[in-house]
Amino acid sequence: MAAVGRTYWLTEPCRIRREDNSIRVERPDGSPVRIPITDIRDLIAFDNVDVNTSAMSLLSRNGVTLHVLDHYGNHAGHFAPAESMASAAVVRRQVELTADTAARLAVARSLVLTTAENLRWSLDTDLLAPALDALRTAVPTCEDTDALMGQEGNFRRTGWAVLDTFLPPWLRLNGRTRRPPTNAGNAFVSYLNALVYARVLTALRSTPLHPAIGFLHADTDRRRNTLALDLAEPFKPLFAERLLKRAAAQKQLKESDFETDVGRASLSKDGRKKVAALVREELATTVHHRTLKRQVSYDELIHLEALKLVRLCLEGTPYKPFRPWW
Amino acid sequence: MFVILVYDTAVERNPHVLKTCRKYLHWTQRSVFQGELTAGQYRALMTTLGTVIDPDHDSIVTYTARSPDFIATSTLGVSLGGPGDIL
Repeated sequence: MAAVGRTYWLTEPCRIRREDNSIRVERPDGSPVRIPITDIRDLIAFDNVDVNTSAMSLLSRNGVTLHVLDHYGNHAGHFAPAESMASAAVVRRQVELTADTAARLAVARSLVLTTAENLRWSLDTDLLAPALDALRTAVPTCEDTDALMGQEGNFRRTGWAVLDTFLPPWLRLNGRTRRPPTNAGNAFVSYLNALVYARVLTALRSTPLHPAIGFLHADTDRRRNTLALDLAEPFKPLFAERLLKRAAAQKQLKESDFETDVGRASLSKDGRKKVAALVREELATTVHHRTLKRQVSYDELIHLEALKLVRLCLEGTPYKPFRPWW
Repeated sequence: MFVILVYDTAVERNPHVLKTCRKYLHWTQRSVFQGELTAGQYRALMTTLGTVIDPDHDSIVTYTARSPDFIATSTLGVSLGGPGDIL
């Protein structure tokens, strides 16, 4: 990952144009913003964005990914630079590992367990202990990834019910719904999950791994990049559930930040800005990494996670999913 | 590194210098740019600028610091630079 370069969050309808081999963002209020191309790592579009091929080819040449979120915060797609990190050796090992049921299950099991523990950590409660114990006994008996996903689903349902106890009534999830999310809490979680997925995808693009060859999620899972879904799992509690709980406790979210309709909800314009600011701040948070012996940001943790998988493929180092140590 | 770049060039060469700087740095004021660069990007920028200006007449000054944290900035009057990274 480039040491320099920022994520730009486009929360308003705008137009991306190429100017002097750099990027100009035209906004509805008429004031264009010029962004130096070398300063962009990726662009995340929350709203309608107009982009043309000459701008896209410039983005591609500079290795910038453009992520698009739809109105309800689902990851609608991304425009990625033509592959430059490609390595047949890594991809071949990745395919071999995922085709080998034992190896695949080992990674999938650790992903499910770690995600569950991360959720317990992020909610910081003992209420999840029985569910976690049940999951710990159930996971070793699972013979395929579908069964694992089922067990994970059970645990997540309990987790969300517990999360609801920390939230004000209007923000409660009342059961996770998506496509579209039915209430404010679900809309928030959807947006955060899509953002984590986008971050993971950006990180995977900077490694030779193929984002579609995953360990845990089914190969047919909405035809998405299953490896990115896998890697996003352990990070979702750190961002989605934890931020929701904190934003509710600090009363940062207001009902006017959401556009609620019958049976569907999404973030309003101000809500999008607020969420973008929340996530940006969170991604920049640093912790001391004990092996690297230096401060790393949450954003970099995601990148390190992708590198762990490269190491699994090339050196056979057992993969230990991310777990907060602080 | 964090770079502040100030240029004072002849009118006919201004647009060229401006365009080159826009590729690497954020515009802060009429002839002032700032931003974070890697050492390589900084070198690339300076080399390109070197080919654009007339060394007998024009002048470009850069101030560099290891990180923006080392520099305190304050503005009087209108803030002309961009709105940050949430657009």
